Amino acid sequence: MPRIVYVLPDGTRREVDAAAGTSVMKNAVLNDVPGITAECGGSLMCATCHVYVDPADAGRFPPRADDEEEMLEVTEAEVRETSRLSCQLTVDDTLDGITVHVPEEDA
Amino acid sequence: MTASPTATPTVDLDPMVLFADPYPLYAQLRRDTPVAYVPAMGRLLVTRYEDVVTVSRDWETFSAREDTPGPEHKIIGETLMSFDGEEDHLRLRRMMDAPLKPRALREHWEPVFRANAAALLDDLAGRGEADLFADFATPLAAMNLASFLGFEGVSAQQLIDWCKGIIDAGGGYMLDDAGIWERGFAARDGVIAATDAAADRVRGNPDPSMISSIINSPEPMTPQQLYSNIMITIGGGLNEPRDVLLTAAYGLLTNPDQLAAVRAEPSLWKKTFEEACRWVSPIGMFIRQVARPVELGGVRLQPGDKITGVVASANRDERVYADPDVFDIHRKGPSHVAFGGGGPHFCIGAWAARASIGTIALPALFDRLPNLRLDPEREVPWGGFVFRGPLAMPVRWDA
Repeated sequence: MPRIVYVLPDGTRREVDAAAGTSVMKNAVLNDVPGITAECGGSLMCATCHVYVDPADAGRFPPRADDEEEMLEVTEAEVRETSRLSCQLTVDDTLDGITVHVPEEDA
Repeated sequence: MTASPTATPTVDLDPMVLFADPYPLYAQLRRDTPVAYVPAMGRLLVTRYEDVVTVSRDWETFSAREDTPGPEHKIIGETLMSFDGEEDHLRLRRMMDAPLKPRALREHWEPVFRANAAALLDDLAGRGEADLFADFATPLAAMNLASFLGFEGVSAQQLIDWCKGIIDAGGGYMLDDAGIWERGFAARDGVIAATDAAADRVRGNPDPSMISSIINSPEPMTPQQLYSNIMITIGGGLNEPRDVLLTAAYGLLTNPDQLAAVRAEPSLWKKTFEEACRWVSPIGMFIRQVARPVELGGVRLQPGDKITGVVASANRDERVYADPDVFDIHRKGPSHVAFGGGGPHFCIGAWAARASIGTIALPALFDRLPNLRLDPEREVPWGGFVFRGPLAMPVRWDA
C-alpha cells in the first residue's frame, strides 16, 4: 500500500496510505486534505486539484498528457515545472513515499 | 420514496412562494430540517453546503440515474446528465466538452464571443436605454450558443424559442397548459433539423464546434443520443449565461463601490462572475437517486429515495459564507457550488460561461455604455427557483 505525503502551504505534512491504482487527487479528497478541491472529480475539466510534485520525486510519474497541459493553463496558482493535476497521478507500490506540495492559493 | 416520510422531516413548500423568492425558505430549511421530504415534489431536499457537496461528489451512493425519468425525458430523451461512471457518462462527455475547454475557447471561441457582444452593443449604444434582458443578455447567450454548437444560419430568436419550448415542456411547471407539449415537440423537431444540417456540414470536415466533435469522434453517439445531448446543451447553455450576466450587472449597479473597484482592477471581473454565480445561482438544484443505504444530515436514506441537492441554498449557507445574502465581489470562502458541488457532473459549460460572460460580456457592457445605471422609474423583477434570475432589467446610459 503506497504512502502519499501531502505537504500543505504552512509546511504541515499529511501522510495517507493509498490503495494501489488510485489517484493522488482521490486520496486527498477521501482524507480531507485541504486545498485539493477537485471540483470535477477527475474529468479533467476544472484544474482545482493542482499540486507540485516534490523535486526529489520528479520523473517518478509519467509526463503530462496534452489535455492535462491544457487545464494547467487555467490553474489559480502559479504553474511550475513540477506542476501536475493530481487526478492524473496514479500511485502504485513503486511510488511509495511520493511527496506532493499543495499550492498556497488553492488552500 | 421507500424511507418512511414519518421517519424523515416533512415540509410543505408552495412552488409559487419559491418562484417569487426561495431564499427565506431555504434559510429555514438549512436551520431546522437540512434534509427534508417535500411531498409535492416526492423528493428530499438537501440544503446545507456540506451535504450538497457530499451528494454531488459520491456518485456511487447518489446516482444520476433515476428509475422514473422526469418530464423532460418526454421531450429530450436520455442525456449524459442521467448516466454515471467512466464508460457510460465520461465517454459521452468527452465528445461534447472539446469546444468548451480553455484552449479551444481561447484560440477559437473567445474572438467569436467578443464579436457577438460588440455587435449587440454597437447596435444599442446610441439608444440610451434598453432592457438588458431582452436586448443584450438573451440574444448574446443565444448567439454564443449557436456558435459553439455549430448551428450556422440559426437566428438568435429561433434558438431562444427552441430553448423556451424545451424548458417549458420539460421543466414540469405548467403541465396543465395543453399548448406546452405541442410547442415542446415543435422545438425538438427544429433542433433535430438544425443538428442534422450541422452534422452533414461537418462530417469528415471538422471544425471547432460541439456537433463536429461528436460527429467526428472515433465512436460517435447514436443519432438519438446526439439530439438529446444537443437539446440538454441548449436547455443548460442559454438561460444560464444570460442570468449570470444580468445578476452580475445588477450586483454591480446596486453596489457602486464594487463597480468602481472592478473598473479600477480588471482582474476583479473574474471574482464578479463567481460571486454572481454564488449569490443567485442560475440553476438552483440537481437531482440524484440514492443507490445504497446512507445517512445524510442526520436522516437515514434508502435505495430508491429521490433527492434534490439545492445548490442555490448551499451557496447561501451561513455556516460557510459570512453575510451570505449580500453581493460581495471581495468575498472570501470556499468555491461556490453553482456549477454543481463537484464530481463527474461538474458543469460542462463552466469555462465557456467564465470566458463569454466574465472575461468578455461584462467588461464590454460597462465599457461600451457610459454611466450605465438601472432605470430609476422601473423595477427589476426576479423569478424562479429551479432556474432563477432577473426577468427584465431596464437600464439607461449616456448615449
